[in-house]
Amino acid sequence: MSGFQFEPAGFRSRVQGERGAAGISTRLLLLPLVAFCRLAAAEDINTLEQKALIDAVDRVAPSVVRIETIGGLERVDRVLFGAGPTTGLVVDSSGYIVSSAFNFVNKPASILVRLPDGTRKPAKLVARDHNCQFVLLKIEVDHPLPVPEAAPQSEMRIGQWCVAVGRTFEESRPNRTVGILSAVGRVWGKALQTDAPASPNNYGGPLVDIRGRVMGLLVPLSPQSAEEIAGFEWYDSGIGFAVPLEAIQKLLPKLRKGEDLYPGVAGVFMQSKNQYTGDTVIASCRPNSPAAKAQFKGGDRIIEIGGRKVTRSAEVKQEISRRYAGDKVHFVVLRGEKRIEADLELTSKLDAFQHGFLGILPLRNGNDAGITVRYVYPGSPVAEAKLEPGDLIVSAAGDAVVDPDELRSALSGLEPGMSLELEVRHKDQTRKVNLKMAELPNDLPPRTLPPARSKSEPGQGQKHKVGRIALTVPEFKNEAWAYVPERYDPAVPHGVVVWLHGAPDAAALLAQWKPLCDANDLVLVAPRPSLSNGWQADEANYIEKLVGQVKAAYTVDLTRVVVFGRDTGASLALVCAFRSRELIRAAAVIDAGSMLPPPEIDPGHRLAIYLGTAKSSMQAQLVKMTLARLKAAKVPVTEKDLGKDARDLSPQELDELVRWIDMLDRI
Amino acid sequence: MIRFSRTTSAVLHGSAAFLVVAVLLSAYAASAADPSLARVIDQAQTKIVKIYGAGGFRGMEGYQSGFLISAEGHVLTALSYVLDTDRITVTLNDGRHYDAKLLGGDPRLEVAVLKIEAASLPHFDLAKAVPLTDGVRILALSNLFNVAMGDEPASVQSGTVSVLTRLEGRRGVFETPYHGPIYVLDVATNNPGASGGALLTLQGELAGMLGRELRNSLNNTWLSYAVPIDQLRQSVDEIEAGKFISLKELPPEKKPASPMEPGLLGISLVPDILERTPAYVDQVRPGTAAARAGIQPDDLILLVGNHLTQSCKALRKELEMIDRADAVKLTILRGQELVEVTVQAGPDDK
Repeated sequence: MSGFQFEPAGFRSRVQGERGAAGISTRLLLLPLVAFCRLAAAEDINTLEQKALIDAVDRVAPSVVRIETIGGLERVDRVLFGAGPTTGLVVDSSGYIVSSAFNFVNKPASILVRLPDGTRKPAKLVARDHNCQFVLLKIEVDHPLPVPEAAPQSEMRIGQWCVAVGRTFEESRPNRTVGILSAVGRVWGKALQTDAPASPNNYGGPLVDIRGRVMGLLVPLSPQSAEEIAGFEWYDSGIGFAVPLEAIQKLLPKLRKGEDLYPGVAGVFMQSKNQYTGDTVIASCRPNSPAAKAQFKGGDRIIEIGGRKVTRSAEVKQEISRRYAGDKVHFVVLRGEKRIEADLELTSKLDAFQHGFLGILPLRNGNDAGITVRYVYPGSPVAEAKLEPGDLIVSAAGDAVVDPDELRSALSGLEPGMSLELEVRHKDQTRKVNLKMAELPNDLPPRTLPPARSKSEPGQGQKHKVGRIALTVPEFKNEAWAYVPERYDPAVPHGVVVWLHGAPDAAALLAQWKPLCDANDLVLVAPRPSLSNGWQADEANYIEKLVGQVKAAYTVDLTRVVVFGRDTGASLALVCAFRSRELIRAAAVIDAGSMLPPPEIDPGHRLAIYLGTAKSSMQAQLVKMTLARLKAAKVPVTEKDLGKDARDLSPQELDELVRWIDMLDRI
Repeated sequence: MIRFSRTTSAVLHGSAAFLVVAVLLSAYAASAADPSLARVIDQAQTKIVKIYGAGGFRGMEGYQSGFLISAEGHVLTALSYVLDTDRITVTLNDGRHYDAKLLGGDPRLEVAVLKIEAASLPHFDLAKAVPLTDGVRILALSNLFNVAMGDEPASVQSGTVSVLTRLEGRRGVFETPYHGPIYVLDVATNNPGASGGALLTLQGELAGMLGRELRNSLNNTWLSYAVPIDQLRQSVDEIEAGKFISLKELPPEKKPASPMEPGLLGISLVPDILERTPAYVDQVRPGTAAARAGIQPDDLILLVGNHLTQSCKALRKELEMIDRADAVKLTILRGQELVEVTVQAGPDDK
């Protein structure tokens, strides 16, 4: 509210008077007042503006309906859902109403629409837009509903008045919040932004201009996340979003047919890691993707999308993200000097990504000249190219690589079957080899492997707490401790095992894991659930913070961060692995499945699952379904048959599990 | 997390308000004859006080706001734990501070009156307070976050009345004893210290007292609101007249002695296994009130009277508010049809 009216021609007024068509009529009326009668004008302008804003709401009010839902979940992720009414907006006189997807994310059993005259109508959810996060509802009507006028996007000006309207407090009268238009083309080109407080009190309602014309539909959105509840945490903060009504109107014909809409995907990976500063050179195209069908290749530079010139990778994302699956978009790319043009039909889903495999385990603290090969998988691409332990990989696809992370990231876009040139040093001889990537193996390497690190002098000159240490995360009541190997050396990246069973018996657990941690450079983290009846799904947030803490204090090898659980801890382990893709790359679970669909694997973030199965378990059906889904998503899964009933791993099996963890940094 | 971000935004609002105040004052100085907002705010601020009392533990702040309502030092404020001490300090706009006496409070309205020993003070006249309607633009003056120290004027926020509504105290939507009308505001006043501040029109007329930090359990959001002055006037008069109103909490809402249950109507609901199992009818016993009213298995009970029943639990709660001797109006979803029925349990129904 810093644009507060302390002078007759305050900021908002001025902007509207000079540039905003929306306020012209009021403004023309006011200008003489301002010029000739400043004394009286001060009050008159405030009063007139107030009246105009009230009239604007009155004008749209007949099209703003109240929505009530029956049943549904109480909590989705970390957001608690109230049972209160929400808002919708009439978009078609025959009974079509749009609302925010947020209002239905708790999956209500039944939906009622309450019209401004008080009548209730059962509603059907006809279709969802998963790109802009709104839904289309339909009710049966006996008389036509009033349809609001849309404000043309071409007339919108930053700084003009906006009123956000909901119908959540009173049935007979709308509630409103007042602000200005803060930005257009926000959230990858999809939304208007306003400082009029937006919240569940008006999500699904209209954002109107001073004439009562609908600028957009209020929805929570976030540029960082595509989830339906993303952006809710910004409620009432002065950062609110609305999907332009003009854009919604164009989508209505498809939505009316019951067609759900999805964000469009082209299937290109950009070479640069930073989307804001990086340029538009393609790293690789996903197999069978629209970009691959158009025969784009790694190295091509995208220069134009849909008629707009693009120079930064963020612009590429923006131009693609604001479009829908099924949209045809004209692309222009440069291959060297050659200009290639193609029409891409965007798709909603790409074939599941599968990481490629060279066939090595790397030495974890090699020298700076390249990646030292620790172990060569028999029958793998590098075995065929006759690499040996001790060889040094110095470049991949023409770029120098100095550590396993760099090599992994150089290969990240490559799937099985794609080829790659490596430069390898054997003793004093350097040679180039061409390889075809294979699939990541699911079986374990042999029992005895060469050491994972060369000799190092632990903790020289640096003080790191080792042994058993206590861990606390400020916002959480849970208690946790960790064990850090005595020979911890920050030069050697360590794996992390989060042990999620019941409440840990510290002494026994430590006795069991200390030798394993010491031998394999692993940090064990043992948290205690906050409730006595086990782990809750929303404690994934806590686990993530806990791992974040370990990562901040110690050198952590992200490829070997594993959540290992049983019972409720196993369910939580899967939630963590599916959700916290940045931090958690593997889950080992005993007899557990997940109702959550596995995440889409992206090149930057690997996922691996170790699943102990039990034939006669109550969970068997769910485990089977989860296994099938994981395989369809091309997630590497290592299955372990535990026999008839679920049980803890035997010491020998635990050894095996640790070997599985040890090989997660395979390349 | 959410709370934190709200707080942060409000701090920003607060500091923005400060800047505005500074600009306002200079604008006022430049053109002293201009009856702009600057003068309105300048005058209003002389009537706002900062109140310090109990608090400081478990993250509870020991301060709030209030405003003068008599020349002799009567101060209207919110009844809260801050006043739960023998030593309450009131700091005036000009920095003078006084020990204040708690004359009394009304827990139903969460309002209290303090008295300081002073004279000829600028004040608001409760008799001249004005009612507001939806969409009216307002000023909120308070010492939110205790930003204003000593003789610094209170923070000013500007906004709009979102809607005039009632705080529904029943069914635990809002944890407050006050169930009357409120002005919902579109500016964040639901932060520490704002409670007890003044809600004014842009012309400087008193309209309400800012409410306390309150969560709306209907949609899990924080609510900014003010109580209209006309709701408070009678209690204030009584307190000033020496009629001390107890500070004890009010008893919870009364339920009928013999409350209604679905079984008494002849309805058994589907097993209540979800957090919000929709209130589907599983069976209707023949010969019962429900059977007579034509209720059928698989009907979904949507409303009891005019109250939405989103789950089996909500339905049972609603029925508890009705005496079993009374008729119950139910609205039912049957397929895609809404059906209204009135069910009356007979004396023989058990």
